[in-house]
Amino acid sequence: MKIVGIVGTNSVESTNRELLKYMKQYYADTAEIEICEIEDIPVFNEPEDKTAPSAVQTLSDKILQADGIIFATPEYDHSIPAVLKNAIEWLSYTTRPLINKPVMIVGASHGSLGTSRAQSHLRQILEAPELKALVMPNAEFLLGRSLEAFDDDGMLVYPNKVKELDHEFNEFVSFVKLTNKLTVNNEFFDASKQFSWKQVANGEDI
Amino acid sequence: MKFIGIVGTNAKKSYNRMLLQYMQKHFESKAEIEILELTDVPMFNESKDQSNSDIIQEFNTKIEAADGVIIATPEHNHSIPAALKSIIEWLSFNLHPLDGKPVMIVGASYNVQGSSRAQLHLRQILDAPGVNANVMPGYEFLLGKVQEAFDEDGNIKSARTVDFLETCFNRFMKFSDIIAQLNLPEDITYQPGTFKVTAVGHNGDLPMSVTLSDDRIESIDIDTSSETKGIADVAFKRVPQQIIDGQTLNVDVVSGASITSNGVIDGVAQAVKMAGADPEILKKRKKSAGPNKQNVIEYQTDVVVVGAGGAGLTAAAKTIQDGKKAIVVEKFPSPGGNTVRAGGPMNAADPAWQNEFPAISGEKHTLKEIMDTDESTIDSEYLEDFRALKGQIAEYLKENDDKKAYLFDSKLLHRIQTYLGGKRTDLKGNTIYGQYDLVKELTDHALESVNWLKDIGVKFDETQVTMPVGALWRRGHKPLGNQGFAYIENLTKYVKEHDGKIITDTAVKQLIIEDGNVKGVIARSSDGKKVIVHAGAVVLASGGFGANTKMLKQYNTYWSDIDDNIKTTNSPAITGDGIRLGQSAGADLVGMGFSQMMPVSDPNTGEIFTGLQVPPQNFVIINQQGKRFVNEYASRDALTQAAIDNGNLFYLLADDEIKKTAYNTSQAQIDKQVENGTLYRADTIEDLAKQLKMDPAVLEDTVKKYNSYVDNGDDPEFHKNAFDLKVKVAPFYATPRKPAIHHTMGGLKIDTDAHVINKDGQIIHGLYAAGEVAGGIHAGNRLGGNSLSDIFTFGRIAADSALKEM
Ligand SMILES: Cc1cc2nc3c(=O)[nH]c(=O)nc-3n(C[C@H](O)[C@H](O)[C@H](O)COP(=O)(O)OP(=O)(O)OC[C@H]3O[C@@H](n4cnc5c(N)ncnc54)[C@H](O)[C@@H]3O)c2cc1C
Ligand SMILES: Cc1cc2nc3c(=O)[nH]c(=O)nc-3n(C[C@H](O)[C@H](O)[C@H](O)COP(=O)(O)O)c2cc1C
Repeated sequence: MKIVGIVGTNSVESTNRELLKYMKQYYADTAEIEICEIEDIPVFNEPEDKTAPSAVQTLSDKILQADGIIFATPEYDHSIPAVLKNAIEWLSYTTRPLINKPVMIVGASHGSLGTSRAQSHLRQILEAPELKALVMPNAEFLLGRSLEAFDDDGMLVYPNKVKELDHEFNEFVSFVKLTNKLTVNNEFFDASKQFSWKQVANGEDI
Repeated sequence: MKFIGIVGTNAKKSYNRMLLQYMQKHFESKAEIEILELTDVPMFNESKDQSNSDIIQEFNTKIEAADGVIIATPEHNHSIPAALKSIIEWLSFNLHPLDGKPVMIVGASYNVQGSSRAQLHLRQILDAPGVNANVMPGYEFLLGKVQEAFDEDGNIKSARTVDFLETCFNRFMKFSDIIAQLNLPEDITYQPGTFKVTAVGHNGDLPMSVTLSDDRIESIDIDTSSETKGIADVAFKRVPQQIIDGQTLNVDVVSGASITSNGVIDGVAQAVKMAGADPEILKKRKKSAGPNKQNVIEYQTDVVVVGAGGAGLTAAAKTIQDGKKAIVVEKFPSPGGNTVRAGGPMNAADPAWQNEFPAISGEKHTLKEIMDTDESTIDSEYLEDFRALKGQIAEYLKENDDKKAYLFDSKLLHRIQTYLGGKRTDLKGNTIYGQYDLVKELTDHALESVNWLKDIGVKFDETQVTMPVGALWRRGHKPLGNQGFAYIENLTKYVKEHDGKIITDTAVKQLIIEDGNVKGVIARSSDGKKVIVHAGAVVLASGGFGANTKMLKQYNTYWSDIDDNIKTTNSPAITGDGIRLGQSAGADLVGMGFSQMMPVSDPNTGEIFTGLQVPPQNFVIINQQGKRFVNEYASRDALTQAAIDNGNLFYLLADDEIKKTAYNTSQAQIDKQVENGTLYRADTIEDLAKQLKMDPAVLEDTVKKYNSYVDNGDDPEFHKNAFDLKVKVAPFYATPRKPAIHHTMGGLKIDTDAHVINKDGQIIHGLYAAGEVAGGIHAGNRLGGNSLSDIFTFGRIAADSALKEM
């Protein structure tokens, strides 16, 4: 199974990146997780030609080829980082590769609270009509106190969190298999591809 | 009133911009609205702080000065646009202009529902602690079907909509007024005087005296004698400072000293009450904008050094001497690393000085042994030097044949001994020896290092030439004063006095690499701050990995086993960080499988100087069964491997007479250790054996045999080289020992300019390494005293190369 893990921040030092690296290493037998960065994506400004810049195209191609996507998001000011939002806006405005993609959301935070608010925002965002990702229901993985969470070898040191993530990840693997079997509803897929907020304004709600 | 309006998108065409422009015009008579655009705002990035850029500063100062902020947000993907989120992140990071600001949210969108979801997210975002804005509740202005909303002049067509916008705006003006009053610092007046109060501290009462003038807290004096030194000291300094700077009791407690911090705050509150004022007013005031609020600190320098041990401080001092700026980032609270632990003398051939001393017995023999070495065993790179050395020795021996000789030495002897002493073969059959050019560099420049250290301020004892333990030759230059500390003390002083900066308590976590060039480091302080140092070059000087058992086990190819619980003589900071940092830039590693152990270390602490340490002729080494298993005179390597083969833990056996030859202890210390169970004492061998859970018959037999070998002067079992005392006078002692990790010879691959070399054999631009973090010199075994020569020599070289290439 091929999975793309998106690091939801451009910070050079990020425990969300460490979390993805851990998952990549730890679940290597189950899935091939490719870690993708979003730092090089330019600032989104609604260009008229609607073409994806190369960094967006690259990410988009990887997402399209993957069986599932994991977003690892920090929480900045009770929401997801601007830079992650930026990447998502490009994807929604140009290539729309997330439509019907199974998505798992994880998040690491330095404090003990985890990233629950950012994760719920991200969920709402990914469910917007022009994204239409299939976010795994009833699942969240919040990693608090993330600065102390990994040892020198990148292993997660909290045993209960290791277990919890094993569980969530297994669920996700099943979720991916399941959704891939429910072959893409093309009509719906195309409708989403075509979706435009201007149509909505004309009363063609979706 | 003056408001700032923020267009929540950077798109060229925006109805939200039109909405703000309309408001600007429409409410002209009531308030001034200045519109700020997001077009030039860079994407927020924690690692590239641009809080000081013109654009962010413009937002910051204009918002600070405004009476309120109006944000017009579109909805993108059910939330606010990334561009708007980005400016909010900038304004909640190191700057906080929105803190307490009245904010009105409006939004225009194509569909009827307008931007309601985005507005809700924006409210949640503005409520986050880093932002902490005062968002006006209710009065949500959503402009739906926006394509039809404006006429050609940019006026809103619907009169009802205009009415509602007016209601909302009027409300916001009122709201801003009220918030402004709330934000006004409440005046406070004290009855002036000095008030003596007692607060509750961590270890009991904290008597303090607080001096108040009629409108200010002037000073806070605390009697700190009852509190524990260390972390509480920080609270005693920082908390009063923040209270006075901000004239506020809303201050951060010092982590790890919260009780002490709160004690100080409560004490001042009591004094304020005694002066007839309400401390609650002070608690509600804003925090002082001290440096503590900043969670990212950035520096710019010429050379940044990772680790303030001997190599690191040397690189920094050399940089400063050459007129450039240096910053040293050190993980621990104080500089020193393993270097402060070192025995002291450093090796450098200095024949002019050494020749003044007479030779001692055995030295000629050592030289003759070198002469007799079979040339076919010498590796080809060293052959020419080896032959030249033989020439030097032959001449010396000829000249000194019948006279009482002087002490011989030469760079060549130092070089060949470093080479021969370092040559080892591991369990896989790989043979390693010091890389010729590096060993040559070391031995050619070691003496310069001694002289350089003298210039820095280190004083050496020139009246004696010593042989550091495990050094093979007398060429040790011993500093006056306290062993390894003498170097660190003088280097630290030099760096600090010449405007070098040493940032302690801060561990480097990452290199900044741009287009393959190393451009600085990112570190994390123990109190969670991020420290970013941009530099022209990075010198890795973080020491070896002797305190990282996992890493030792991962690379080990030399020892048959490394115990999971192995102790170390090293500082706990020595965990191989620099090696990992180097690897992140693609560095190649050399000799990682080879580590040196100190066979006779304390099993609990790794220390060398506990228990009874006696000269080797008096050592009797027994295993956990009570049997001897090794020649007590064997080399460190052989003793270590024998100990590992016997289950690591072993004992040094002594009787009352042998005890008297111990050079490390006193009767009081011995009694204390016996009491603590770290040293065993018994009146009979039988009882001692019982304490050690051995079969008494076995131990008695061992002692009997050993004593007979002493009588005969011959040890047919293990061939101990020399004897002195027997084990016979009660009480008897057993000192438990285990091998402990002492030195790691392997590390980053470097060249003679201290460049770190990558896997393709190329230089990694901007990255240098010096000291124990680097490999290739000491190979399979480091000679005593050679490490100090190494760190002071390659520390200088690293700085020289970095400056030359910058
Ligand atoms: C007990 C003992 C006795 C010794 N005796 C001798 C002797 O007599 N003669 C001899 O030649 N050698 C001796 N050695 C070896 C010698 O002391 C060391 O090899 C040498 O001091 C290493 O110097 P260094 O500058 O490379 O590293 P160190 O002096 O160990 O300094 C490394 C520094 O880097 C810091 N650091 C580590 N990671 C980070 C990070 N991520 N960020 C920031 N800072 C970091 C550490 O805290 C430390 O201060 C002895 C060693 C020990 C342990
Ligand atoms: C990437 C993108 C995502 C959008 N998502 C939403 C959305 O989630 N909800 C919505 O009502 N409109 C959405 N829209 C359309 C906006 O409503 C519309 O572009 C905007 O609000 C019009 O105002 P403006 O031109 O002033 O920005 C989206 C537009 C873009 C470009």
